[in-house]
Amino acid sequence: MLDNLNQDVSILQPSLQMTDSQIQNRIRQMKMEDPDDQTCYQKFCNLFTIEYYREYFDVTTELVIAKVVNAFNPFSGTFFDIGGGIPELYGPFWILNTLIFTTALSVNIIKYMQLQPGEHFEYQFQIVPILTIFMYLKTLIVPMIYRVALKCVSQDRLTLLHCLTIYGYSAVVMIPISLLNSIPNPAIQWMLLVYVLFAQTSFLTSNFNQELKYLPKEKKYMIVGLVAVVQITIMILYKFYFFSSINYEQLGLVKKRTTTHLLPHILGAN
Amino acid sequence: MDYSNQKHPQNYSQMEDLKTLDLEESVSETIMRDLRMIAYKLKYVLIPKEQEDNGKELRNWDLWGPLIFCLTLAMTLSFKADSTTSSSKSDVFAIIFVLIWVGAFVVTLNAQLLGGKVSFFQSVCLLGYCVFPINIEAIIIAFVGSYLPFVVKLIPVIICFAWSAYSSVGFMASLVPPHKKKLAVYPVFLFYLFLSWFSLIV
Repeated sequence: MLDNLNQDVSILQPSLQMTDSQIQNRIRQMKMEDPDDQTCYQKFCNLFTIEYYREYFDVTTELVIAKVVNAFNPFSGTFFDIGGGIPELYGPFWILNTLIFTTALSVNIIKYMQLQPGEHFEYQFQIVPILTIFMYLKTLIVPMIYRVALKCVSQDRLTLLHCLTIYGYSAVVMIPISLLNSIPNPAIQWMLLVYVLFAQTSFLTSNFNQELKYLPKEKKYMIVGLVAVVQITIMILYKFYFFSSINYEQLGLVKKRTTTHLLPHILGAN
Repeated sequence: MDYSNQKHPQNYSQMEDLKTLDLEESVSETIMRDLRMIAYKLKYVLIPKEQEDNGKELRNWDLWGPLIFCLTLAMTLSFKADSTTSSSKSDVFAIIFVLIWVGAFVVTLNAQLLGGKVSFFQSVCLLGYCVFPINIEAIIIAFVGSYLPFVVKLIPVIICFAWSAYSSVGFMASLVPPHKKKLAVYPVFLFYLFLSWFSLIV
């Protein structure tokens, strides 16, 4: 039975370059079409095996590094050309975790640098779970928004995993920025925010632009505009929630007044 | 019965050969036997010269060692944590505990997904044993940290972090195919960096 399947695979697409795990997944899919050959476990619990996800981790070091370097370049829309545009989950997942670590680090550094003389340093650990939830939710929900928008303009070439991949890699720009954000100078912080907003948004928009070349102009600009708007919202939330504790009076930059946090004002709290 | 002149067993499979009667020996002997096994494995993992057979000893994995080191680290750091700050002692304990086990789980899962063929618990065992240098630095900083400036505190942190990372990297890199080595090693590096940063900052 398995020999037949192997032959079928090679007959169908003899010239397609497939990696080992893709071949195994294809064989498993073809096996699944034959209802006698699947156990109940295979039918329902395939989602829980490791082999199911191995296809998405099929990357080499050079590929990941090439994608990361490409993500720093906001104008070339060539992200989906690297490595054949295969969606993968390794890059987004570990970039996310690195970002959580560096943001927690820089929030604590800011607090440390703003110590009044004689005050004991209070490290802040609850930032870590909050950050984790924020980052993971952001990385799950925003690609879904992209996918829904793409479905509305009936574009099916970019799947949800493609959107996840490109969104995860676009977050690489935030890693050095979050480290540099630990400098308590507000002018530098705003400049860094503007830079990362610009870099990440233009990376995403130029790549989507490239992919959606053949769509009519209005739909294309709608998608691209949606990407930009969502990005701007998230960056503003990020800046004002995590880096809002900077104490302007202590730095002697403004006259004495009570510190206001913008976000609770926006949300209508006291 | 006199067992004093028998060779100390180094893992649970050797124990059965000795046919020791566990119910007859004192509690201290049982505990000492387990502690000796942990100490043997620790020396094996952390001192690179002892590894002559390329990690075969690790097939006898056990999770007692990682549990002890995880608990000591969490207790040291939460003991040092002030109860007046926004993070209470129990928060710190919980975060460290969860971080070590979930972190070891995620790093091992990553190595398996990249195509490594290793037993899951073997890798968790190794990562847990390599937390021992971080334990040492946490204890050093807890006792003498308040008298030292920040830069001096960095030195044992960096040394212990390099030691943990170096011990576990050799094993992790041997699990995956050669063009994915750095991909499997980077999460280990991040994991120990996170732990070292926690022990530095408390």
